[in-house]
Amino acid sequence: MLRVEGLHKSFDDFKAVSDVHLTVEAGQMVAVIGPNGAGKTTLFNLITGQLKPDMGRIIFNDEEIDRLPPYEICRRGIARSFQIANIFPRLTVFRNVQVSVLSQQRKSTRLFRPARKMAVEETRSILEKVGLSDKADTLAGSLAHGDQRTLEIAIALGNNPQLLVLDEPTAGMSAEETGTTMTLIRRLADEQGLTILFCEHDMEVVFKAAQSIMVMHQGVTILQAGPEVVHNSRQVQECYLGGA
Amino acid sequence: MSKGIFNLKTFGLAAAILIALAFLPPVLPRFYVYILAVIFVTALLAMSLNMVVGHGGLFQFHHGAFYGVGAYTAGLMMTKTSLPGWMGLVAGPFAAALVGLLIGIFCIRLTRLYFGMLQISLGSLIWAIAFRWYSFTGGDDGIHGIPLPSLISSPIGAYYFCLILLAICLFVLYFIFKSPFGATLQAIRDNPERCEAIGINVRRHQLIAIVIATFFAGIAGVLFVVVEGSVFPDLLFWVFSLEVFIMCLLGGWFTFAGPIFGAAIMVSLRTFVGAYTEYWTLILGIMLIFLIFFLPEGVWGYLLEKMGNQKQNLHKETK
Amino acid sequence: MDLFQTITFPALGSHLLVGLSRSMILFVVTSGMSLVLGVLRVPNVAHGSLYMIGAFAAFSISHLFGGGAIGFWLALILSPFVVGAVSLIAERSLFCHLYEREHLMLLLFTFALMLILGDLVKMVWGADYRSIMAPEFFRGSVTLFQAPFPRYNLFLLLVGPLVAVGLWLFSNKTRIGKIARAAAVDREMVGAIGINVSWVFAFAFVLGCFLAGLGGALVSPTVSITIGMDHDIIMEAFLIVTIGGLGNMWGAMVGSLIFGITQSFGVLLLPQFAIVFPYLAVVIILIWRPTGLLKSVW
Repeated sequence: MLRVEGLHKSFDDFKAVSDVHLTVEAGQMVAVIGPNGAGKTTLFNLITGQLKPDMGRIIFNDEEIDRLPPYEICRRGIARSFQIANIFPRLTVFRNVQVSVLSQQRKSTRLFRPARKMAVEETRSILEKVGLSDKADTLAGSLAHGDQRTLEIAIALGNNPQLLVLDEPTAGMSAEETGTTMTLIRRLADEQGLTILFCEHDMEVVFKAAQSIMVMHQGVTILQAGPEVVHNSRQVQECYLGGA
Repeated sequence: MSKGIFNLKTFGLAAAILIALAFLPPVLPRFYVYILAVIFVTALLAMSLNMVVGHGGLFQFHHGAFYGVGAYTAGLMMTKTSLPGWMGLVAGPFAAALVGLLIGIFCIRLTRLYFGMLQISLGSLIWAIAFRWYSFTGGDDGIHGIPLPSLISSPIGAYYFCLILLAICLFVLYFIFKSPFGATLQAIRDNPERCEAIGINVRRHQLIAIVIATFFAGIAGVLFVVVEGSVFPDLLFWVFSLEVFIMCLLGGWFTFAGPIFGAAIMVSLRTFVGAYTEYWTLILGIMLIFLIFFLPEGVWGYLLEKMGNQKQNLHKETK
Repeated sequence: MDLFQTITFPALGSHLLVGLSRSMILFVVTSGMSLVLGVLRVPNVAHGSLYMIGAFAAFSISHLFGGGAIGFWLALILSPFVVGAVSLIAERSLFCHLYEREHLMLLLFTFALMLILGDLVKMVWGADYRSIMAPEFFRGSVTLFQAPFPRYNLFLLLVGPLVAVGLWLFSNKTRIGKIARAAAVDREMVGAIGINVSWVFAFAFVLGCFLAGLGGALVSPTVSITIGMDHDIIMEAFLIVTIGGLGNMWGAMVGSLIFGITQSFGVLLLPQFAIVFPYLAVVIILIWRPTGLLKSVW
């Protein structure tokens, strides 16, 4: 479904991403791991269009998407959640998700129908799935941190994506919250046939959930393989798990 | 939450206020009728600005330019051409929206502060031309004695004309505020980056908002001509635009009706305080500082919060 | 055509010089604005008012000391400090409490300051026109390009570059200057290494306003000192820093040169619309380079 080939991105002289390769098959859960500064977020930003690569290709469903603006990429079926809770603080939780659904339905420029009555079903069902129904009328800015992260995912779901890109979905969460979030993500993947690409620090999470793991170090792809192979790979252990 | 688009209570209240205003002219002295008309015009201008600032998050620093374009278009058409007066009145908003679109296209490439400063630059160019072109625009004198259609040339006629148009425009603006477009615009205000990531073409939405807002600013400009019978380059001067900005802040720019209050307060204060002292700007400056430090939600915003503490947190969504 | 007859070499040269001397004043003022814009990231709407206070203060000081050469030089030296003091009071009492708030609030504060200072000037000095004379030495003119060129303007042509050099030395060679530059780029970092960012801001703000006052004092012998001065100059300053690149001091120089020269050529070609020429230049430049000619500090 998604193929990243030979991607390069530099900021002035700093090589954030060098010759990165990644493959995501439909229906998989793929994880990208690597120490801080390995370039994971940069890679994600390149995939979802916030950054443009210097060299290389990103192919989604046989279409090259590396030069498209973020909103076009989203319309092709890729939705993204961010590492830092990136929500709409002055809008209610309901509105947060509704805006996303309306965008997906291409109704965000409709001027003369009340928004209250539109996309209500879809929004409610998403809120139910992630467990935020009871907070629908709360202002997003006043939610607890964990709930904001969940809202992040809910907003991404509003786009009815094929591929869901999650940037460190459990960052800053307690063990309990991590468990809940990962269960939610797996459930979404199974129920809706979503393909999921995520990056994480928490090794346990990664090895339990992912079917394919891509290891990055200093902007370069070390390898991509199943959890067993990665776990046993000397290369990976040297540069990441064991070493500095 | 399914009460239909109009919260019956607020709708009833608004209708009551409008009816009350409609019955005022016979009982009020002419001067107060005039002042109310000025408030209507200014309120519309402030509401149009708030669409892009409070609900859209854009730094529209020179909104007055479009107000002035609307006013000058109407004034020039009515004095320089032999076309019927009504055509001038209709042309004003379209001219303003066209200029708004052009300037918007240039400025939208930039973000935040740059957007504002570029808009000031382009708007000031219009001011400079109007200010200097004595033969066409009347230069710094402006245009006086504009012949208005007889129906609206009297103070009372002007009053009703402004009131009716204000009511219609508010109605339309409220619809837009409550529409998917309005919701998306507010989302853009809160987090433009996130909007891009959920498939929204942010620039296009902002441009649409600008065109709508400048259209209404043009209507306000035309109403100015109706009330005053003249046009001045002051309308195009950038300092005036900042005053309109203050009106939105004063009222509460995250609310719907806030700017109306802001405009009403500003115009009233300026008229009545200005009669006692020549240092109105000093008082305005002090008021602004007070607002910045103690009341950033604005007067109406503050009141709403007080009232809203009883209900759930829906007040940010309703009027 | 009349137009082409006016464009002779001597006329060009003479207008160029007048434009340049105007540019120097603009530069002194806008360099201050750039400084504030660069470090605090806020356009100081009150900058024009401080310029105006500089001019009025120069008037009062020069009269206080008899109005002659001594009066003039004292005025030139002291009025920037007066303006600096005014800005320091405003900054320490009110402005500094807003540094944590969003930038729009800072901008609105400077707008409030402009409104207040404008009326304060009216209160203290009244609405009449004032004027001061340059000292004997600077009166009269020399003949350059077959046209009379005021001696005082020659002085301006010297002062401008001096200020530029002074500022450059300051921001690159002094510790405080380097800290200010660092704060412009990354204020959190500067705070993290233990420097009181609030004082850095205060310093930058006061220095910027000092320069505005200096500009006002410098311009005072050449114009009528009046209460509309703040509106006129702030418009021009905004445009200049925008085309120069927000926060960039050399950008302020480039912008001022463009502004002053296009305006004087406007006077040469179409006197009635002279003021439109610089605005047109601004529009053209911004269409071509929306973020300004030189790199912005941020």
